[in-house]
Amino acid sequence: MHHALHQLLACADTVILGKQQQIRLAVCCLLAKGHLLIEDIPGVGKTTLSHTLAHLFGLAYQRIQFTSDILPADIIGSSVFDSQQNSFTFHSGPLFNQMILADEINRATPKAQSALLEAMEERQVTVEGQTYRLPEPFFVIATQNPSYQIGTFPLPESQLDRFLMRIELGYPSRQAERELLMGQPRHSLIKSLPVYLPDEQLAALQHEVSQVHVAPALLDYVLSIIEFTRQSDYPCGLSPRAGLSLLAAAKAWAFMDQRQAVLPEDVQAVLPAVAAHRLLAASHDSAATVAPILQQVAVF
Amino acid sequence: MMDAKAVAPTKLHFDSRGIADNALNSRSLNFLLGSIALITLPHAGHIPPPIFGFFAILLIWRLAGVWYRHWLPNRWLLFLLTILGIVLLIAQHRGVFGRDAGTALFVVALGLKLMEIHSKRDVFLIVYLAFIVAASQFLYEQSILMAGYILLVCAVLLATLITQNATHVQTQAALKTSATIMLQALPMAMVIFVLFPRLEAPRWMWLADDNKALSGLSDVLEPGSISDLSLSDELVFRVRFDGNVPPPVLRYWRGPVYANTDGVHWTKDSNHNQPTQPVDFSGDAFHYTLLMEPQKQNWVFGMDMPESFDTSLHRNDTFQLLSNKRPADRAEYKIVSRPAYNTGPISPTDYRRNLQLPAAATDKQQALVNKLRGFDGRPEQFIQNLLNYFREEKFYYTLSPPLMPDNPIDTFLFETRSGFCSHYATAFVYLLRIAKIPARVVGGYQGGEFNKVGGFLEVRQADAHAWAEVWLENKGWVRFDPTAAIAPERVERGVNVDLQVASGAVNFGPLINESAALNWLKRSRQLWQSIDYNWQRWVINYNGANQMQFLQALGIDGIAALAKWLVGSLIIVTLPLAWWLLKQPKKPADKTLLIYRRFCNKLAKTGAAIRPGEGAKDFAERAKKQCPEMAAQIDQITALFIRLRYQSDARDGDLQRLKTLVGGLVVKKVI
Repeated sequence: MHHALHQLLACADTVILGKQQQIRLAVCCLLAKGHLLIEDIPGVGKTTLSHTLAHLFGLAYQRIQFTSDILPADIIGSSVFDSQQNSFTFHSGPLFNQMILADEINRATPKAQSALLEAMEERQVTVEGQTYRLPEPFFVIATQNPSYQIGTFPLPESQLDRFLMRIELGYPSRQAERELLMGQPRHSLIKSLPVYLPDEQLAALQHEVSQVHVAPALLDYVLSIIEFTRQSDYPCGLSPRAGLSLLAAAKAWAFMDQRQAVLPEDVQAVLPAVAAHRLLAASHDSAATVAPILQQVAVF
Repeated sequence: MMDAKAVAPTKLHFDSRGIADNALNSRSLNFLLGSIALITLPHAGHIPPPIFGFFAILLIWRLAGVWYRHWLPNRWLLFLLTILGIVLLIAQHRGVFGRDAGTALFVVALGLKLMEIHSKRDVFLIVYLAFIVAASQFLYEQSILMAGYILLVCAVLLATLITQNATHVQTQAALKTSATIMLQALPMAMVIFVLFPRLEAPRWMWLADDNKALSGLSDVLEPGSISDLSLSDELVFRVRFDGNVPPPVLRYWRGPVYANTDGVHWTKDSNHNQPTQPVDFSGDAFHYTLLMEPQKQNWVFGMDMPESFDTSLHRNDTFQLLSNKRPADRAEYKIVSRPAYNTGPISPTDYRRNLQLPAAATDKQQALVNKLRGFDGRPEQFIQNLLNYFREEKFYYTLSPPLMPDNPIDTFLFETRSGFCSHYATAFVYLLRIAKIPARVVGGYQGGEFNKVGGFLEVRQADAHAWAEVWLENKGWVRFDPTAAIAPERVERGVNVDLQVASGAVNFGPLINESAALNWLKRSRQLWQSIDYNWQRWVINYNGANQMQFLQALGIDGIAALAKWLVGSLIIVTLPLAWWLLKQPKKPADKTLLIYRRFCNKLAKTGAAIRPGEGAKDFAERAKKQCPEMAAQIDQITALFIRLRYQSDARDGDLQRLKTLVGGLVVKKVI
């Protein structure tokens, strides 16, 4: 299974060029059963990344383009009167898919945003008293434009916390961009990709990830990190949920590295993606935000 | 934003090269400077202003240097500053010996050392210097408040050490830890305080530069000498009675006797080395313990008349108690006094001396004496008439009498007729001498305020008093207090210092305006005095002699027994503490980590020091680049360490193998 995972990553690298680290983080996020937030300017491959992942994992994929006039019903679905049966039937919305790309989530009004985010946390939706389970696995990749762009409703802190990771893609390198310009169009490339891990295998992987060993010494390190963020001058320290997320992501990272135990290095690798958006630092540079943690919190 | 925060030092003590840039953690530096400011603050009073100013400038300079590092002096400027410091020391103290010069030396050294903090070692050195400066406060003041202050400051210093040593400890947490450490040390400190043999400095080592101005009665009784004291609520001595407390009218605390006069000044006889004549005592005895505060003279104010006393005291022929202890120290004496006594006959010389007058009596004085003597020539009758004269004529008691520079006796008796105890006592004695009755003025204290909380009597400078003593045939020296005839309240109630200080004058009227607030103030002051009394008595006054006495009472005699007791009680005190500390849930010492640290220290010699935030795997990668020839060993050790520390599948022999591997690692030192 590790082999399949390895192939999957290699394959994704051929589609999104020069972004190995981001792809690994995105897969890590999926394995840790978390949701992913990609923040970057338009056109750097956010959609392509999510589409590729959905395809490679063989997940039912739906893209929801968020606009300022989108309504919760447009996402969740609504009850429609069926004149033949003389009753209301629920027509599920695009949310009922295994992988959702919530494109430009910060263009939507808070009301529409919260409809999605509730579903993310509960993994179920309730419409008119009727509860519907969402499919398993359920993975949301939301993209957002940097909040300095016009016409955006920035996600509130409480909702940012629901995303396991936030990553930035950034511009590709010169070499990667050259290859991109020379190669065939990405969307046709995606269609030709094989499915490496069907969804039942993904569930098995996710289970294995949760079994990765966490030693007390490592817990001490995670706790010191959390304590450090609460005592330093960050606007907001890491929440207990952030601690859980950090550990889950580190487990997935260790698993992807074919290890059965989490090392401090795993925590450090996922820390910028997991912690930066929860610390509410003024800077959008995740690596710079967490740099003091990495430098100052003693591993031993 | 976050980059500006200096890197906190690691918990590990790796090679100092890896830490050098961590020594200047700005938060713990601020902590250090703050605590040093607190420590040196009380010295502001006794260090010469130029030296203290020099130190203050250095401290502020260093504080500014926390933010603007380029402002700090370079080596040459520092050298010049050192020269300046030495010059200041020599100019102010002409050397480094003695208490003041020594303290100043330490303060200057502390200030200069502050300017060069390069490594952790410097920080530690500064903290230890600061501890010495803190201890030197006790050379100047030993009050309970100062002790509390120094203890607090030491807690802050300890907290500085804690922030230096631990990773990102918060201010509050560091203070809490240091307070805990102090509390844990307290029982041991108490045992050592009580049992450790006290070394008494020989007399020649007593610090000569004791410049504290001490007030009190002086050798010469001048018109202003007692009124100066009357507004001072400074404590003179405290008395704890075993049994009954004598009523106020008996509380005459006997001081020097003033027998010679030039009409204005009254002086005491210089030569009092004659043996004391026996005194015939009768009536009730009062047993008491007297705790003298530091004073100018070696006078001890026993209650009239001291019968028996400690061997460190002797009674001269004016019945004044003199101590052979150092007057600037507090001292405790056990005394027995009896208010009823007969001193018996006096020698013809003494008789003559106590009739001495600077000039023949003026007509007015002679007329007054003649008038008062009446038909009956008996001295008792004359004294009675004189007291009645003071009482019935318009004499007033006041602490702010008009000035009488030239002829105070005449001016007082016939013109102003207002004065306080010394005026009455001197005029009284003067008139008696004109009447050929031997008399003299006695100085001392009268009354004292009873501290209900502590059960002792406090006598203050404001209680300073002068009265008269008359030699009567068959009765010896008898005390008469003319002030009591004018203002009996002065004697019966004592001086109300609170009111006096408030109004600037004495108020002997009925104290109807003694409000609740004043009462409360009085009570809290009494409580405080009681605490202070016990502090002086049990802590400050616990000197070699007292310790020996106390230990003998416990049955400890001899150095061997003392050593046994010392060790025994230290064990008794520390065992529960150790047991309690061991009982605390604590992480077992991680042997794996200890061995790994040894490994890191070995690698540090090659120049690859582990960073605080670096994991073993990353460190191994870096170390392998640094010394590729050891790559295999590094990999092996790191893998073992990771398995032992982070994995669930460590085997039994792993720890031993790790130990062997690390032990066998040989590194070449890189210079």
